[in-house]
Amino acid sequence: MHVRKEPAARRKGPVLVVLGVVVLAAALTLAASSSGGTKAATQAAATGPTIGKGGGFGEVYKARVATLKKTLFKATLLPKNPTARNIALAGLGRADKKVNYALALKCWKNNGCSTGTKGKLTVAYIEQFGENVYRQMSKMEFILQALTYPEVGKIIYRSAHSDLNQGIADFKAAIAQHVSLIVSYPDFGDAMLPVMKEATDAGIPVATYAWGYVTGPGKNYLTVVGEDTCALGKVYAYVMNTQVKSGNIAFLGGFPGNPLSLGWQTCERPALNPNIHVVATEPTNWDPSKVQQVVAGILAKYPDIKGWSYEYGLGMAQGAFAAYQAAGLPFNAVLTLRTDDVGMGCAFDKLNNPKLQMYYYTSGNTQIRVAFTAAMMKLKGAKIPPTIVFPIQLQNQRVRDSCAKGYPQEASATSLIPLSLLHQMYP
Amino acid sequence: MKAPGRTFIASAVVAARFLPIWLATGALAIVAAITAPDALQHASWAYVLPYMTILALAALGQMLVIMHAGIDLSTPGVISLGGNFIVGVSVGSDHKLALGLLACIGLGAAVGLANGILVGILRLNPLIVTLAVGQIVLAWSLHYSREVTNSSQVPEALTSWAAEKPLGISVIFWTGAAITVAVALLIRYTAAGRRFQAVGANPRAAWMAGLHVRTHVVFAYTAAGILYSFAAILLAGIRINIDPAFGAAYLLSPIAAVVIAGASLAGGLASATSTWMAALALTFLPQMLLILGLSTSMQYIVYGAAIIVGMMVSGDRVASLLGRVLRPIEGQTRNPDMNVNTS
Repeated sequence: MHVRKEPAARRKGPVLVVLGVVVLAAALTLAASSSGGTKAATQAAATGPTIGKGGGFGEVYKARVATLKKTLFKATLLPKNPTARNIALAGLGRADKKVNYALALKCWKNNGCSTGTKGKLTVAYIEQFGENVYRQMSKMEFILQALTYPEVGKIIYRSAHSDLNQGIADFKAAIAQHVSLIVSYPDFGDAMLPVMKEATDAGIPVATYAWGYVTGPGKNYLTVVGEDTCALGKVYAYVMNTQVKSGNIAFLGGFPGNPLSLGWQTCERPALNPNIHVVATEPTNWDPSKVQQVVAGILAKYPDIKGWSYEYGLGMAQGAFAAYQAAGLPFNAVLTLRTDDVGMGCAFDKLNNPKLQMYYYTSGNTQIRVAFTAAMMKLKGAKIPPTIVFPIQLQNQRVRDSCAKGYPQEASATSLIPLSLLHQMYP
Repeated sequence: MKAPGRTFIASAVVAARFLPIWLATGALAIVAAITAPDALQHASWAYVLPYMTILALAALGQMLVIMHAGIDLSTPGVISLGGNFIVGVSVGSDHKLALGLLACIGLGAAVGLANGILVGILRLNPLIVTLAVGQIVLAWSLHYSREVTNSSQVPEALTSWAAEKPLGISVIFWTGAAITVAVALLIRYTAAGRRFQAVGANPRAAWMAGLHVRTHVVFAYTAAGILYSFAAILLAGIRINIDPAFGAAYLLSPIAAVVIAGASLAGGLASATSTWMAALALTFLPQMLLILGLSTSMQYIVYGAAIIVGMMVSGDRVASLLGRVLRPIEGQTRNPDMNVNTS
């Protein structure tokens, strides 16, 4: 019996062990699959359908359709270049990651912070002008994007208050601090090229957004993210050609010589039909009072002006609307604008003038997220295309109302800053 | 016989100091009527008059300081923080607007008083110290706008008032004109105003005459701060929203207006009405250049050149030139008398 039992025990022992292991493995697998399933289900419920697949260099090339639609109007308005498309998907996809919003707000108010992750990277957003709502929102997008990377330990922000020398000094200081990457909007165009090149030579990837084009992207600096401003100018021209048809229009721009304004102005002019005359091209420094001055001046000479092309929607709403009101003229015109500020849409709605037509593009604050991610991928060895270009699609204010309910007047509803955080920024 | 002649010459020399800006503005209007008549149309004035008023108020404050050989670079800081106080203290509500306005005026007075003490009592260089004070106030404004105000909307009561147009002209203009006339009358026709001028013209003589020179300097900066706060209130009314760059345009243009109006940076006499006229010219000129269709770079070149020419034909240069021209005449008129007396 013993003998029998012993072999039986010996035979049963391994079987039981195997059985036990199998049961345990099955249980673990079940538990794992169960929890994973639950997680996946939760994620699916939270995320909804996505676009993109694959990944690399620490990124997942995937983003929610809803997120893309919110910031680009249509989820398919992604860069055509496959690599650029992947970077855009990775950058915008990160907007759905939860971050510490209290820290983000503190960082935004203090113009920089330590993220508390003890990450080794220091990231910098350096611009030569940061004193309007558009730039302040871009700063928050930058901070939120940086907080999705645990390897980022410190965030730096600098604005030169429209002072070129200070802007150059800010760049040099960042280089001296050995920051890991720089995202910028080069307000003074090629005047910033030497320091951007110096940073690049020092091994710091420099990416610009909102088509902050400076000579030699891919060579003198990492990349420029934005819409094709030339295409924007052509789309503006298409709207003018179809809506204005003939008569006088005017171009307004930001700081003299800035790449964004030059980009669309250079391409809109030749694309206009011969019956449309551009009677003025004036810089406004993106300052509403300067907009009012310029519009008042142009109105004095051309009271029957039929169209205005510009970038800054809220500036147009605050400055031009006031100029028309002061002049006692009805605002009967076609506007082509780049930003989708809520205040702009609400001012349009309040005027309730059927003879005022307004077409706008997305503010593109979220382009800074893509620029950030491109620079992060570069740090991990990715090859980044010199330009990451988003296609254009203008929106008709009468079809898509930019006066989004619940949003602060200064904000852009295509931003990916959570509404609750926006309310804390602009209560 | 001699006294009226000398009085006439003295009056002519004084008037010559302030006359060019009136002539230049008249010439500017004629040039505009010929080359850019649209600049004289209602749409253009609708912008020029309110904005020139704000520049004029800032320039009036600067004038009081310059009369005492000082300079004040804290103007943008006061206007910026003053605007934020209007929004922040009133919390965008019409009911608390009065509090916001008081806070704005109080700020102007406080910053002006600080400048006055630093320059008048502690004898610090006004160029550097007011720039430093202005930077501190501007930084406070940036901090305040983010930490406290959290809103940019000016109370509707103020913006509605600013949109009013008695006799078809902006109420901002009428308000500024009234303040300018009041300042001009106070300086010219009151004993305090005369003492204020005397201290500016010759502080040592004024001190020997028993006037409190330092008190007048402190008063000049304080009054200037209050005038900047008035400018902030009017600007807030027409801008509707306060942004971080609010008031940034008023660093150097008020100084240019005062100097073009005939005042000397070395101190002395100045004219409130001429300063007002200079503010009009400096606001109207860019508008005219814009309407003329000049390129942006040409607009800046012509504007800069106009300021240089304005400085060349006003102030001490014209006064001394006229003095040199008129003295021989005075000599000639005196000699016949002498001949009569001797003969």
